[in-house]
Amino acid sequence: MNQVLNNLKHSAIDWRMALMALVLVVISVIFNVLSDGIFFSPENLYNIAQQTAVVGILATVMVLIIVARHIDLSVGSVMGFVGVLIAFLMYTMNWSWPAASLAGLGAAILVAMYQGALTAFIGVPSFVVTLGGLMSFRGAAYLVAQGKTQPLSDPFFLTLGGGYNGGIGTQASWIVGAVICAGILFNRLTQRRAKIRFDVPVNPFWLDTILALIPCVLVVAFVAIMNAYQIPNKPDAQGIPIPVLIWGAVAGLMGFIVRRTRFGRYIFAMGGNPDAAALVGIPVKKVTMMLFLLLAVLVTVAAIVAISRLNAGTNSLGNSLELLVIAATVIGGTALAGGSGTIVGSVLGALIMQCIDSGMLLLDVSIGTRYVVIGQVLIAAVVFDVAYRKWTGDTQ
Amino acid sequence: MSTQTEQCLVELTNINKAFGGVHAVENVNLNLYPGEVVAVLGHNGAGKSTLMKMLAGAYPIDSGDVRIKGEKVHVRTPADAQRLGIESIYQTLALADNLDSVANLFLGRELLTQWNTLDDLRMDADARKVFQRLNKNFKNYHTPVRRLSGGQRQVVAISRAIYFNAQILIMDEPTAALGPEETAMVAKLIEQLKAEGVGIFLISHDMHDVFALSDRLAVMKNGKLVGTYRTQDVTEDEVLGMIILGKKPEGKPETHRPAR
Repeated sequence: MNQVLNNLKHSAIDWRMALMALVLVVISVIFNVLSDGIFFSPENLYNIAQQTAVVGILATVMVLIIVARHIDLSVGSVMGFVGVLIAFLMYTMNWSWPAASLAGLGAAILVAMYQGALTAFIGVPSFVVTLGGLMSFRGAAYLVAQGKTQPLSDPFFLTLGGGYNGGIGTQASWIVGAVICAGILFNRLTQRRAKIRFDVPVNPFWLDTILALIPCVLVVAFVAIMNAYQIPNKPDAQGIPIPVLIWGAVAGLMGFIVRRTRFGRYIFAMGGNPDAAALVGIPVKKVTMMLFLLLAVLVTVAAIVAISRLNAGTNSLGNSLELLVIAATVIGGTALAGGSGTIVGSVLGALIMQCIDSGMLLLDVSIGTRYVVIGQVLIAAVVFDVAYRKWTGDTQ
Repeated sequence: MSTQTEQCLVELTNINKAFGGVHAVENVNLNLYPGEVVAVLGHNGAGKSTLMKMLAGAYPIDSGDVRIKGEKVHVRTPADAQRLGIESIYQTLALADNLDSVANLFLGRELLTQWNTLDDLRMDADARKVFQRLNKNFKNYHTPVRRLSGGQRQVVAISRAIYFNAQILIMDEPTAALGPEETAMVAKLIEQLKAEGVGIFLISHDMHDVFALSDRLAVMKNGKLVGTYRTQDVTEDEVLGMIILGKKPEGKPETHRPAR
């Protein structure tokens, strides 16, 4: 037994992440009991997954921004601006959706180059640059269409935000699930083999097996739930909603960037010690600029999902979204001081927030109370963060 | 006599640097030969760290020439310096505290796989060898370096110079945060590197270190070079006189040649 405990202690398990997952489970169970089982109904879980996508997509990149000791307060406004622009080009200008989306991406990149250059090359704190951006781009979102709502009708484009035809169907869902599981198992196995080859200590085989199977079980369970949801008068079940698929792809890509690329490592180094990063020859300014450009790409993706979900672009799109995104990031364990944070954490953080919000909505809690609670959840998350770091000695 | 014809490793000529109106470094000339330790001394703010940071590419040089092995070079960024074989161990150690020791060793110069992704396993394996060479007891490969002791952090900083085969090494107060055992390790390492022909600039306040480790010493005051002497030619009091008063010791020859 001691041997087992020792293995668990020294294995590379992220206990903090495990604890957050536990919090998510506990919250859901409580809501499920209080709502007489409605919370765990496939329909509700489907909606939560779909609603979390926009915040979730932006939270994955916000992790990197905050890790690099920056902040972006303008994500909501820029997303609104880009979203309205895309919708305007499609509705008023009759552009096709790919052309409009590319134009939106171009606009987002211009915004990122402007804000990124001010931050990286001139050294204006990103807090100030993006605080200005928060106002300016909200205004720009209005100016694009003079405040008029731009409805969308392209049937394919509308599936990107989920909704009636926004699931990929049961068969495709199982295929996606199987591919992901195979990918996880293959990845774990090759890593284990490579570690043994290079004489790096490995976990015992049973532990690695469990660690590889847990995510697979979660994926299968998720697919099963999404496949269990059938909109009444529709012949087939929904399957995985497309926005969630997009979110998953984004999270996977960002996880890859963080763990496997120089760019990701430099962002963490800059957040841990900016002076050291410069002294060892990391091109700090260039990396900061690239980070803003990456942000632009994901803001565009989020904007597309958001207007498609709404079936329209409006000038209030993404209002106060920055707060939700930053809250999800922080609840997910990203330290505002920079230098630490994980993509998986941001996914959990976004889910925890959305579960609390949706759960309270199910229970008919008033909007005022919901705001009060969510605000305090954010503070509780930071208190936990501080306590956890003290306890593990990871003070910065 | 062979030293007479030996090629100079580093030649700094008329180096100037000003921060705003303050002349941090003024017309400094200094050179370094292979297998030699030159101690750079002076008060805080005398300009020694600034001079070394210019050689390391951390600060741009206002005017003056840098020659490496006789060839004129432009060191504009730390990456330029690294390409020229110049490695620095800073007093602050320049470690990213949130990353582990392996990541810090390779920081800015990660080994990549054929797909341009980080080759963690190769870095891991290589790092173990270097750390073992410096300290047999070093085991914390995958804890963030903020949790390591002063000596272990120093091992990580020094390992960069070893792994990337420094030809010119700048050490800024390498033993300031170390215990006696670790100080002895650094001294042994310096001897070893000298034997391999590495040239070392040693910035230190510790007179014992300076006299035990250096072949020559250069003293700076208020951004100017007071003088360069063979360490064996001068006494501790004379060195302190140069540092504090900027007074050249009488009757002692200045030298720009290695001590041997």
